[in-house]
Amino acid sequence: MDNRRQARIHRFRPALITQIDDALPDYMNLMGMIFSMCSLMLKIKWCAWIAIFAALVGFANSRTTDDAKQVLSSFMLSISAVVVTYMQNPAPMTIPFMQ
Amino acid sequence: MRLAICLVIVFLCFICSAAKKVKDEDFSEFDDFDQDEFVVETPSTTSATLSSSKTQGSKPDVVETEKVIQADSNKGKQKEKEDDEEEVSVIDEDDDSMFDDEEFEASDSFASATSATPDLKIAEVPANLTGNRWEAYQCEAVMIIALLAYLINFLIGRAKNARLATTVYHAQRDLLDRNFALVGDDGQTRNTETDDQVNQMQKESDHLYILWCSGRVAIESMLIELRLVKRQCAFNSLAAIIKSINDTLVYTIDFNKDDMETFVFCLAKKRSAVKLHRDMVDLSQFCAERKSADKKGFPGNYQVLSEIGEASSHITNDQKLAEFLTKYPDAIEYIHISDQYSGMKIQSDQQTSSNAATNTGTAAQQQDALNTSERSVRRVLIVAFNLTPQDGRSLQITSESLPGDYLRFVLQLIDRVAAFRFGSKELKNKATKNRQRIEEQFLKSVNLQRQEQAQLRREEKRRAEKEKVMQSDDAELQRKWEEKEHKREMKRRQPKMKQMKVKSM
Repeated sequence: MDNRRQARIHRFRPALITQIDDALPDYMNLMGMIFSMCSLMLKIKWCAWIAIFAALVGFANSRTTDDAKQVLSSFMLSISAVVVTYMQNPAPMTIPFMQ
Repeated sequence: MRLAICLVIVFLCFICSAAKKVKDEDFSEFDDFDQDEFVVETPSTTSATLSSSKTQGSKPDVVETEKVIQADSNKGKQKEKEDDEEEVSVIDEDDDSMFDDEEFEASDSFASATSATPDLKIAEVPANLTGNRWEAYQCEAVMIIALLAYLINFLIGRAKNARLATTVYHAQRDLLDRNFALVGDDGQTRNTETDDQVNQMQKESDHLYILWCSGRVAIESMLIELRLVKRQCAFNSLAAIIKSINDTLVYTIDFNKDDMETFVFCLAKKRSAVKLHRDMVDLSQFCAERKSADKKGFPGNYQVLSEIGEASSHITNDQKLAEFLTKYPDAIEYIHISDQYSGMKIQSDQQTSSNAATNTGTAAQQQDALNTSERSVRRVLIVAFNLTPQDGRSLQITSESLPGDYLRFVLQLIDRVAAFRFGSKELKNKATKNRQRIEEQFLKSVNLQRQEQAQLRREEKRRAEKEKVMQSDDAELQRKWEEKEHKREMKRRQPKMKQMKVKSM
C-alpha cells in the first residue's frame, strides 16, 4: 500500500525546529571582547590569549544561521589585542602565580 | 621704596654667589692641588674616598701615578689645607708602604674603596634579549600548541559528525522515499519537484542536522533531527564524556486536527521523565503524576505520564512496542504524544509575551495583539532515540543499521496513534473539560495582562497631562487640574456604597 500523498505536502518552516537554549556562543563572544579590552587597556598578555581561545570556542559552537560578522569581529579583536600587547612589551609572558 | 631696595640687595647677593659658584666650577680643573693635600684612601675615611673617587673619576690613571710619585716624595709631611670642598684628608704615614710597590694596581685601591660602598645592583637582562631569543617564549609556545590542538580537534570532530549524518541519512533514505512524497526541503526553493535530489541532511550547525519529510497519509509532516554531541568543541566533548551524553535522533511528527484524538501521554526514561514533567507546558498541565512502567514489563527504567488512561493503555499495550524495547532496551529515550503541545515553559512564555506585546508602536495595536492572542498548540508525536554503539561495534557501523529500524518503529507508531479513537463519550467529555479548564486559565492571565496594560496606559496619559499643565504657565488651568485630581483621589478612596432610595412618606 502506497502511503504517499502529494496533496498533503507541506513546506518546511524554520520555526518548527526545536529551540534549544544554547547561550554558549554568545557568552564566548562576550568573554572574547571583555578579555581583549582588558589586555589592551591593562597590557596583560594572558588576557589576549584567552580572548583568542574564547573567540575560537564561540566559532566552534556557533549555529549556521548565526551572523558570521559577529564571530569574525571577535576574532579580529582578539588577534589585534595579542599583536598590540606584544608590540607594547615584547618580553615573554609570565603567568602571575607561577613566578 | 625700601622694599624695592631690599629686593635689589637680595638679588645682587644671589647673583654674586651664583657667579662665584660658576667661577669655582669653571676653574676647578685649574686648581692647584697641593701635594700634601692628596688623599690616601683608607677604609676609615669613607666620605673622603667617595669624594676623591668623584674628583678623580674622570682620570683615574693619571691621578694614581701622581699619587704614587707624591707619596714617595712627601713622606712625613702633613699639611691640611682648607678648601671649599671637604675632600682633603691627612696623609697617613702608615699607609706609605701601600704605595711603594709600583705595580700597585689602581683597581685594587678602588676595589678596597668600593668594598665599603653599598652593593651595586646589576639589572637582569631580559631572557629574550640574551642568547637564543625564541627559547624564552615558552608560555607563548604552549598557548599556540593548545590553539592548534583545539583547531585540529575542531576539524576532526566536524568531519566525524558530518560522516555520521551521511550514514544515518543513507540508512533511512529508501524507507523515506517509499513513505513520503517529499523528502528533504529547506523551505527556500520555489518548487519542491526539482531535478536535483536532496542527497544529504540539511546542516543547521556542526552538531545539528535535519531532514523534512511531508506528503503522507495520516500526518502533515515529519521532521527528523539528528542532535549530535559537539565533537567539534574539545570542551563539549569532554563534558559529554563526563555527563555521558550521547547522540540523539528525534522524530517530530505533526498531525492534522482530524488525524489524532485529544490526549496527552508520555513514556520516558526516568531521567528524561523528570525533566519533561517539569519543563513541558502540556505535560505539567495535563498529567498530574509520574507512574512507573514496570507493570507493563518494559525492560529499563521507564515512567509513564498519562492524562487519559485508555489512551495510555492503547499505546503501551502495543505488541510491537514491547518487541522493540526487548530488542533495543535503551534505544527509546522518550515518546511524547500530545494535542496541546506548545514547547517548553520558558519558550512558551516568551512566545506569548511576544504575541501580546509586539513592538508595533501604538497602544491600540498592542491592544489588538492581545485581543487576538491564542495559545499556539500543535498535535505532535515526538520520539527520541539514543544512538549508541551496540554489540561492541563502533558508532559508525551501528548507525548504518539502527536508524532504519528506528524509522520502521516510528511509522508503525504513527499508524497506531492515528487509528486510536476514544471508546466512550465520557472520556471524550473528560478530555474536553480538561482543555476548557486550561483555556480559561489562559484567558484569565491574558485578561490580567490587558488590565495591567490599560492601567499603565492610564497612568502615562495622566503623567503627560500633568506635565503639559505644569509647563503651561496658566495658574488658573493648574488650579483646575489639581482640583480635578483631588476629586478623583477622593472618589477612589471612598468605599463603594449602595445607594438607598428613601421612600417619601
